Amino acid sequence: MAEAGRLKVPATTMPWPEPVTALRVAIIAVTLLLWEAIARSGLLYRDVVPSLTAIGGAIWRLLAIPDSQSPTLSFPLTDFELPLPSFYWHLWVTASEVGTGLLVGGLSGLVVGLVLGGNRLLAKSFEPYLYYLGPTPKIIFFPVMIMWFGVGPGSKIAMGAISCFFPIALSTAAGMREIDKVLIQVGRSFRANAWQMATKIYLPAMRHPIINGVRLGLGVAIIGTLLAETKLSNRGVGFLIIQAYSLFDMPRMYAMLIVLFVVAIGANALVGRFGGLHAIRQR
Amino acid sequence: MASATTLPRSEAANAPRPADAGILVVKEIVKQFDTPEGPLVAVDRVSLNVRPGEFLAVIGPSGCGKSTLFNIIGGLLDGYQGVVAVAGETVHGPHPAIGMVFQEESTFPWRSVIENVAFPLEIAGIAKKDRLEKAKKFIALVGLNGFEKRYPAELSGGMRQRVAIARTLASEPKILLMDEPFASLDEQTRLLLGDKVLQIQQDLQQTTLLITHNITEAVQLADRILVMTYRPGRVKRIVDIDLPRPRSSDVVSSEAFGRYVAQIWNDLREEASRGMQDEESRALHAGEPP
Amino acid sequence: MSLGVVTRARSFPLVLGLGALAAMILAVEALIRLGAINRFIVPLPSQIVMAFERVVLEEDIAERFRLTFLEALAAGAMITVVGVSLGLLLFRVNVLRRATETWVAAMASAPTVLMYPLFLVIFGRSASTIIMMGFVAGLPPVILKTIEGLAGTRRVLINVGKSFKLTGPQLFLKILFPAALPTIFVGIRLGLIFTLINVVGVEFLINFGGLGQLINDLAERYDLPGTYAAICFVILVSVCFFVLTEWIERWLRPVD
Repeated sequence: MAEAGRLKVPATTMPWPEPVTALRVAIIAVTLLLWEAIARSGLLYRDVVPSLTAIGGAIWRLLAIPDSQSPTLSFPLTDFELPLPSFYWHLWVTASEVGTGLLVGGLSGLVVGLVLGGNRLLAKSFEPYLYYLGPTPKIIFFPVMIMWFGVGPGSKIAMGAISCFFPIALSTAAGMREIDKVLIQVGRSFRANAWQMATKIYLPAMRHPIINGVRLGLGVAIIGTLLAETKLSNRGVGFLIIQAYSLFDMPRMYAMLIVLFVVAIGANALVGRFGGLHAIRQR
Repeated sequence: MASATTLPRSEAANAPRPADAGILVVKEIVKQFDTPEGPLVAVDRVSLNVRPGEFLAVIGPSGCGKSTLFNIIGGLLDGYQGVVAVAGETVHGPHPAIGMVFQEESTFPWRSVIENVAFPLEIAGIAKKDRLEKAKKFIALVGLNGFEKRYPAELSGGMRQRVAIARTLASEPKILLMDEPFASLDEQTRLLLGDKVLQIQQDLQQTTLLITHNITEAVQLADRILVMTYRPGRVKRIVDIDLPRPRSSDVVSSEAFGRYVAQIWNDLREEASRGMQDEESRALHAGEPP
Repeated sequence: MSLGVVTRARSFPLVLGLGALAAMILAVEALIRLGAINRFIVPLPSQIVMAFERVVLEEDIAERFRLTFLEALAAGAMITVVGVSLGLLLFRVNVLRRATETWVAAMASAPTVLMYPLFLVIFGRSASTIIMMGFVAGLPPVILKTIEGLAGTRRVLINVGKSFKLTGPQLFLKILFPAALPTIFVGIRLGLIFTLINVVGVEFLINFGGLGQLINDLAERYDLPGTYAAICFVILVSVCFFVLTEWIERWLRPVD
């Protein structure tokens, strides 16, 4: 078998916690302690560094305390209605904007990537546009998006879509070209038709670049959508953040940033895990 | 490795054929490539004839056009002069009667072993249950039973090539066309796999055309060996290998084997050194205007 | 000339690409004039072209460009110094690297630019906010690529050094670091790109600074052709920057 003969290191049975975990805990603990110290010392202007308890309280209020504008979650067939903190409604708004933007941008990116990856001439003619337009700050297009799609969710979805279109198109095109040529030859030698080639050979062979592209696309779609919300919106997590800024409610802003980061990193990890699970048994 | 199972072959393949009409007839193939340095003739009027059930090896130095020939016969390359015919039918593009095994890693990494082997049957539209059953038989044939659910990444290089061979055999081609399938394997694995191939060819009476640069491999496996010249590739000599069948890898220690190898090396040495000189002069003059 | 010769010419893809772009612009111009596209949503391309000149002359483009450039330069210098140093540190102290590398990778994909309101509070509506945002955004790739470059030196090269009895510092200076330099530069380039994107983006968002602020300004004045022209200008700057860093990178690794 392939891995026979590989030396196995005996598992250590030390009573101490693993050094890596210990170090991580130490770093986090020291950071939190320093933070609290600065907060209490009054060194910086009052609320720029709020105490941990203030932030903790704000997170609690954000996630668990329904407020005056709370939407309610009604359970069908019962009279029971659960009032939710309005944060979840805003989170839902943002999530659906990001999701739609990712869908629109992702699908068009996939199609464009497949076309460009499959044809040398088209790739040489048009891929440079994608390649050089990719690393530009998409938020500057926002005024144009507002003009085209209005001040509502449309412009935010559009921001998410143009943000994720480029990385997905580029990684799909690159993925097409990186497919092991011999796999295509195998398909041809067995006389697979175009549909079979596409579904049984091209797409599976590209699963890694596509998943990586989607991960990247998700990340930039989140950023694009949220930035648009901070600039011009009356709903969504971005709106809440800028609202906290204008009200100078710092604990609330920190709370939202923390929750946002956890959600964003979590979503990214989920997509990565989904792609990774697929790849665990394969190369 | 588990012992091979014998598979029933269809009636038509067992029917006797006229002695000199081969299953695979290649006539006067000429293939020219346009390179920046000018037109390059890769294959120059190569003809060959493979009889039913025969194992023909084509051997030549690097650069003799073997892989070009492989791709032409397999129908993956066109734009050549001459004719390739399988059982009387001219070849235009990949032909159902020709099965190809490639030199590079060609198993699909995202499919398990059994899904890989069942691939040609899936393309042909055979129902899932039937094709998985059939694939199992060919997996056993190459000695990989028990590995059906594994993925290629979990297998060694030699095992992956066996999967590739099983996959091609599953399409039950009249002619098995192999392009240096063992090139990436070490010598000992090669010899053992050579045994396997001999066994399979025996059981199935599979007509085989093997492209290789390895002399011992060619003499070990073949009934006839076709020696090619260096570029432009032509047929230099055809050698009949009169070693007894059934054969095993023990044959490599026999005297007759050594004589055949010496004879072929004699022919090949000249071509190989021409090739080496050519490569060196090209590297030396790289970048100079033509 | 036959069609085959034309389509295979070296410059054909470039011609095709530019030609398609020109055709699209002409088509948009025609459609707007015909009324098929609302000219209050998409201004005439010809107007945008004319606005270019106006924007350059009236809006003090040179000064704005200089501002943005300086902000990006400051942030770029910071990410290089801090990033390479941290990368070096993490490489030397293995346990620290194992503990924090995934955190740095997570930061690379996290929406750090969303912290700009926070930075607004801390630094005010000033260049410092912009520079700090550029710094935070561009730092992770530099750290990660520095680590990757140092760790990725082929074992055999290190063994060659050891066989010549090089001391630790010598090994580092003469083998590890030079071998890692191309990858480190890739990281710096990536970091600079993120930095520039964030600098211009935050300028737009907080309405302060150079080119980003220009777009925001023109948009709030409802100067449609001007806004489009300014966006095109920023794209041009971004592309030039990207190409420039690509050239430098290629110059630094001629073998590849």
